[in-house]
Amino acid sequence: MTTEAKLPTKRYFEDVQVGDEIPQLVKAPVTHLQLVRYAGASGDFNPLHTDPKIGEMLGIGGIIAHGMLIMGFLGQLLSDYVGPTALRKFGVRFKSMTRLDDVITCSGTITEKYEADGEACIAGKIQAVDQNGDVKASGTFVAALPKRGGE
Amino acid sequence: MFDQSKIGQSFPSFTYQVERCKIHELNLAIGDENPIYHSKEAAQAAGYPDVPASPTTPTTFQFWGNPDFVKHLMAIGVNVMRIIHGEEEYEYLAPIYAGDVLTGVTTLVDGKSRQSKDGSSMDILTLETRYTNQKGQEVLKARQVLIVR
Repeated sequence: MTTEAKLPTKRYFEDVQVGDEIPQLVKAPVTHLQLVRYAGASGDFNPLHTDPKIGEMLGIGGIIAHGMLIMGFLGQLLSDYVGPTALRKFGVRFKSMTRLDDVITCSGTITEKYEADGEACIAGKIQAVDQNGDVKASGTFVAALPKRGGE
Repeated sequence: MFDQSKIGQSFPSFTYQVERCKIHELNLAIGDENPIYHSKEAAQAAGYPDVPASPTTPTTFQFWGNPDFVKHLMAIGVNVMRIIHGEEEYEYLAPIYAGDVLTGVTTLVDGKSRQSKDGSSMDILTLETRYTNQKGQEVLKARQVLIVR
């Protein structure tokens, strides 16, 4: 975890170009305590994510992270990039299981810029990969940005 | 084999008050230290009326707001022990802040059975939850794909 808290930067439609990379977000290794915290916070108490015995019993070798935690990492990437109220759409597909100590890196690319319903929108693709490059989740987003001189 | 006649069925609506503390707790677990998610003062300093919902805060609406969700799935014949979360998608229609009172209605919008590679059958269910706030404004559509093996 970074200790340096920051407010989202004001990003204008004109500042973003198709092909731009969203600044990468490298998360700290996933810990058991984090999954317990996430279970309590989200309300998803499926023991698959918190109880190592269940994981062994199901033959998946220990506990696995909540898919939504990984989507949460991608949400942080987008929140840092455009702020929470600019997002219009955000969707992911879960590709593989995340385990303890995995280091997740989130990244994204801008694929489109357009105006729709009176809003200036950017669209992009995002993904979360582990330390071996295995994709955990990938998806897309749309965000509406302010235009310069438009406020 | 999934019972196709259940498609289009909605579960009873549920109500959830968006809690500042829950947004704080979720972002603490994610490791997102952006102060707008952790303090009303920081959120207001950044121009928001109160702490805003972070992009995946809606997961708390479903689990904490609709504790009967699992029961409803069982009632339409889903083996909840065999669910894998395949996809999640949010469509944000209006901002959501701490203090908002949301009403959610979940509908089974699609369901089909597929053969998996090993020859066993699996069901793929798509559920959509539409949330309205205390002003009657539609604020969020959440779609999820659940795979039942």
